[in-house]
Amino acid sequence: MANKFYTPDGFTDQLPGVCAFKRELEARLRNLFLMNGYDEIETPGIEYFDVYRSFVAEEELYKFTDGKGRLLCTRYDGTIPVARYAAGRNDTLPMRLSYIENMYRAGQIGGGKQSGFTQAGIELLGASGSKSDAEVLALAIKSALELGLTDLQVSVGQVQFFKGLSRQLGLSGETIAKVKAAISNRDSVTIEKLDLSREDKDTLLMITESGGTYDTIDQMLPRVTDEGAKAALGNIKEILDIMERYGYLKYVSVDLGLIESIDYYTGMVFKGYTYEVGFPVFGGGRYDDVSKTFGKDMAAVGFSISLTLAITALMRQDKFTPAAGATVIVGGDFERAIATAEALRAEGTAAVLDTTGMTEEELDAYAKARGIETIMYMNGGEA
Amino acid sequence: MLTIALSKGRLADQTLDLMEKAGYDVTAAREKSRKLILEDQAAGLRFILAKPSDVPTYVEYGAADIGVVGKDTLLEEGRQLYEVLDLGLGRCRMCVAGPASLKDKLDEIPNKRVGTKYPNITRNYFEGVKKESVEIIKLNGSVELAPLTGLAEVIVDIVESGRTLYENGLDVLETVADISARLVVNRVSMKMKADEIKPMISKLREALEEGES
Repeated sequence: MANKFYTPDGFTDQLPGVCAFKRELEARLRNLFLMNGYDEIETPGIEYFDVYRSFVAEEELYKFTDGKGRLLCTRYDGTIPVARYAAGRNDTLPMRLSYIENMYRAGQIGGGKQSGFTQAGIELLGASGSKSDAEVLALAIKSALELGLTDLQVSVGQVQFFKGLSRQLGLSGETIAKVKAAISNRDSVTIEKLDLSREDKDTLLMITESGGTYDTIDQMLPRVTDEGAKAALGNIKEILDIMERYGYLKYVSVDLGLIESIDYYTGMVFKGYTYEVGFPVFGGGRYDDVSKTFGKDMAAVGFSISLTLAITALMRQDKFTPAAGATVIVGGDFERAIATAEALRAEGTAAVLDTTGMTEEELDAYAKARGIETIMYMNGGEA
Repeated sequence: MLTIALSKGRLADQTLDLMEKAGYDVTAAREKSRKLILEDQAAGLRFILAKPSDVPTYVEYGAADIGVVGKDTLLEEGRQLYEVLDLGLGRCRMCVAGPASLKDKLDEIPNKRVGTKYPNITRNYFEGVKKESVEIIKLNGSVELAPLTGLAEVIVDIVESGRTLYENGLDVLETVADISARLVVNRVSMKMKADEIKPMISKLREALEEGES
C-alpha cells in the first residue's frame, strides 16, 4: 500500500501560518484560564479503554493493546481523563483544572468532519450550585470572545427540566425516548400526534420553540408542577442573573430543548454557536455523576471549545491573520551575517541566517518567494 | 441569505410549489439551466440542487442552512439535524418485502439474507426492533431481483403502489417506517439565522395546513 504519502482520513497537518496562529490562540486561552485560577494539566493521550467504556460508544474510540494485551484507546475528550485524574487524588476541593489537547474520534461519518482536532477546556470539580455553573459558562463565553468569535450565540438548557417534566406528564420509558428524539429534532409533528392533553402538548411544543431569556422561564413556570423541573428553571434563572453581571446576557438564550447532547450531563448544559461553521464551537455542562464511575462522589462542571472549529470560523469570517514568521534575512559575508543576525535576535527581531552562500540576487529572489520583508546583504572585508 | 438544499428531481419541483404557495419568490430556482447554485439576492434565497442522499450532509455541515429530503434518506444517513416539518410530499412506505408465500412466516426463516439499498435502516430494523441478526447484501437498484434470483430471501425497500412487487410475485411482509419529505435545518443555522428560518417554517406550515383543509 502506498499510504506513506498521506495523512489518515480525518487528520491533517497544521501548515506554518495556521499553526502559528493556532499557537497564539492557545496562548491567549492558556493565559485566560490561568487568570481565572485554573491550573493546566496534561493527560497522557492514551487511556485504558475501561476509562471511557461507560461514556463513549465503542465505535468512536481508536483502540489498540499494550504489551500485556490490555485494551487501550486514544484520548476522546478532555473531561473524562480529568475526572479520572481528579477522582484518584485527595486534593482539597474545589479543584480548578484546564487543558489544551488534541482529541481523537474514530467513526465520524463522512469526509470533512475531523477525527483529530484540538480542544481547550476547563473543569471545576467539587463545586455545585448555580454560581459554579455560571463561572464555567462565563469562561466559555470569555474564551470565544478572546479568540475573536464576537458573533456569538449561546444556548443554555437544563437536563433536569425534561426529566422532571416527563414525571409530571407521566411519560413511560418508550414515550420518553420518542418525545426526547422529537424535542431534539424540533419535530413538532411527532409531538402533535402524541396521546396527551392539548395543554401538555403545548408545553412540549413550547420547549421546542424556546429561545428567549427570562420570558421563556416565566412562560414555562406556571405549567410546571414537578419540583425537579421547577428547580431546573430556578437554576437557569440564577445563571442568567450572573450572566447579566458579566455583561454576557446579550449572548445567551434559554433552550429547554437542549437535550440531545451526551448522556452524562446532570444539570445545566450549554452550547455556543457562531456563523460559518455548522457545528457548535463550544459546549459544556454539569456532570455530577461521572466521578462515581471512578469511585468518588464529586460534583463537577466544565466546558470545552474546539480550536479547530474556531479557526475555521475565524477564517471564513475574515478574522484570520496568519502569524508572521521571520521578517529579516541576513546573508553575504558569513562572519558578519552571523553577528548581525544574532544582534537582531537579541533585540527581539526574528531573523533568518543564510547558510547556503546565496548571492545578493539569489537572496533577493529567495526572500521574495518566502515573503521575508527585509534583506540584509553583508559585504566582506573591512566595514 | 438562506441556502436551501433541494433534492434533485420531482421533489425539488414540489418543494418549490409549496414555497411559492407560502409566499416566497422562487423564480430563480425555476430557471432551466445546468447551474447547480441558483441565487436570488433580492429574495435572500440561494438554492442548491443536490443528489437526495447528499442533502443531509450539506445541511449537517452547514453548507446549506435548510434542506428538503425524504425520510428514507434521513433514516439511512442518520445525521445530526433538526427535522422540523413533515411536508407530506412523496408519501410511501419502507417495507420488508419477499415472496408472497412468506407472508406471516418471516420470523420462521433463520439467518435471513436481506437485499437492500438501505443497509443502515435494515440493520436498525432487524437488530434494533426485531432483535435478530441478518446478513445484509447492499444493492444499488432493482432490488426486487434479489429474492427472485435467490441472492436474498427478502428485501427492504421503498414501496409506493407495490405494483413492481405484485407483478413479480412478491408482497409486502412488514412495514418498517412511513416515508415522506421532511424539512431539515442545520442546528447552528437554527440559532444564528432564527430571524429568517423560524418565519419560513411557520409560513410553510400554514401553506401545508391550507392544502389539507
